[in-house]
Amino acid sequence: MAKHSPVIGRYVTIDVDGHEYKVFYLRNGQGQPIVCQHTAGCHNHQWRGLLEDEEITRDYDVIAYDLARHGKSDPPHNREWWKEEYLLTADHYMKFIVTLCDALELKNPIFMGSSFGGNVALQLALHYPDRFRAVIPVEAAEHAPGFFLDWWRHPHANAAQVCASGVWDLMAPQSPEMDRWLTWHYYTQGAEVFKGDLYFYSVDHDLRGQLGNIDTKRCPVIMMTGTYDYLTPPEATENTARQIPGGIYIEMEDIGHFPMSENYPLFAVYLKEALRIIEDRT
Amino acid sequence: MAISLRDWAVRFGEASDRDATIGAMARYFTCKYLWDMGAAKVIVEMVDGKVYRINTDPQPLDAYDFALRASPATWREFARPMPEPMYHGIWAASFRRDLKIEGNILVMMQNLRNFTVQFELLRKVGVPV
Repeated sequence: MAKHSPVIGRYVTIDVDGHEYKVFYLRNGQGQPIVCQHTAGCHNHQWRGLLEDEEITRDYDVIAYDLARHGKSDPPHNREWWKEEYLLTADHYMKFIVTLCDALELKNPIFMGSSFGGNVALQLALHYPDRFRAVIPVEAAEHAPGFFLDWWRHPHANAAQVCASGVWDLMAPQSPEMDRWLTWHYYTQGAEVFKGDLYFYSVDHDLRGQLGNIDTKRCPVIMMTGTYDYLTPPEATENTARQIPGGIYIEMEDIGHFPMSENYPLFAVYLKEALRIIEDRT
Repeated sequence: MAISLRDWAVRFGEASDRDATIGAMARYFTCKYLWDMGAAKVIVEMVDGKVYRINTDPQPLDAYDFALRASPATWREFARPMPEPMYHGIWAASFRRDLKIEGNILVMMQNLRNFTVQFELLRKVGVPV
């Protein structure tokens, strides 16, 4: 008897700033939608543990999409994208997410993202607070400089291996070896977009001095960061959460920058606490 | 007490040469790097995935492609079986601790997969400082 997963994949076409994107997403569950953003240079397979977590999908409709140019979501079909350098901006990134939520007719979804997905979660809480029931920025901070590097797509090196091994020690040594190597494997597949994603992560994303304008009564913010994250270390996230009135920070022990794919069972413990807080507050 | 430099070189060479993860993609893993641990310095020369030579007494004009330099205390942290946060890799320690990566970094990037695996062998082999 073949073993089938309950997770279903579909495509939906959306228009964002005149870019026609055919977006691939994975979905499983029912009830409150949770929209999940993968990390830079990666794809939605990072959320495989969450998508098949029966305890979550019993009450939550989990949707994990591939951002345009990642995984099975192509670059725009109506532009000669190969003639332009890809540099993701906060504005375009937010419009993509809001447009996708509209296309899927999601009511009051929770948004969760890790790393550059966590940083855009903060941006959404500031700029689109009424579109989301809450946001869960994972491994995020108000500002995250230092990773917009030429090495990610240097023509004299194996970019797939540079990206994958370059993020290797963003993971905790305690995380299961199989899951760390699967995450490594995913990272060999997105080398051409990693640097452009990191333009948003390290350059365009800068909320210093603006965190006090986030209204957590309209959109609660629950931040979570692993103790082995050297890029957004716990103190950076804690400092960010402290500046958001009503912001909440949860420190995750013995896990790194890719918690949902490097050690899902441990991440799930913290995620369930975040969801419990959202249920209590909204 | 730290392992002697000579014993360390033998153990490290053996551990690297029999490591299955390096062996799975060993071809072209060819480079020469310096590890500066303060009291101890070594130049490791790799040829097609095997340790060709470990120079345990580098002289001022001995050549290498790239170097990792950090305090002995940091190298001892690298060598713990389960390192503390920010000592768990070369990127982490160069961003958040005193590790300096110098020289021709392109060569390090060209060999990054296997070099990263090899660096983590210190957790099994230890360090001579």
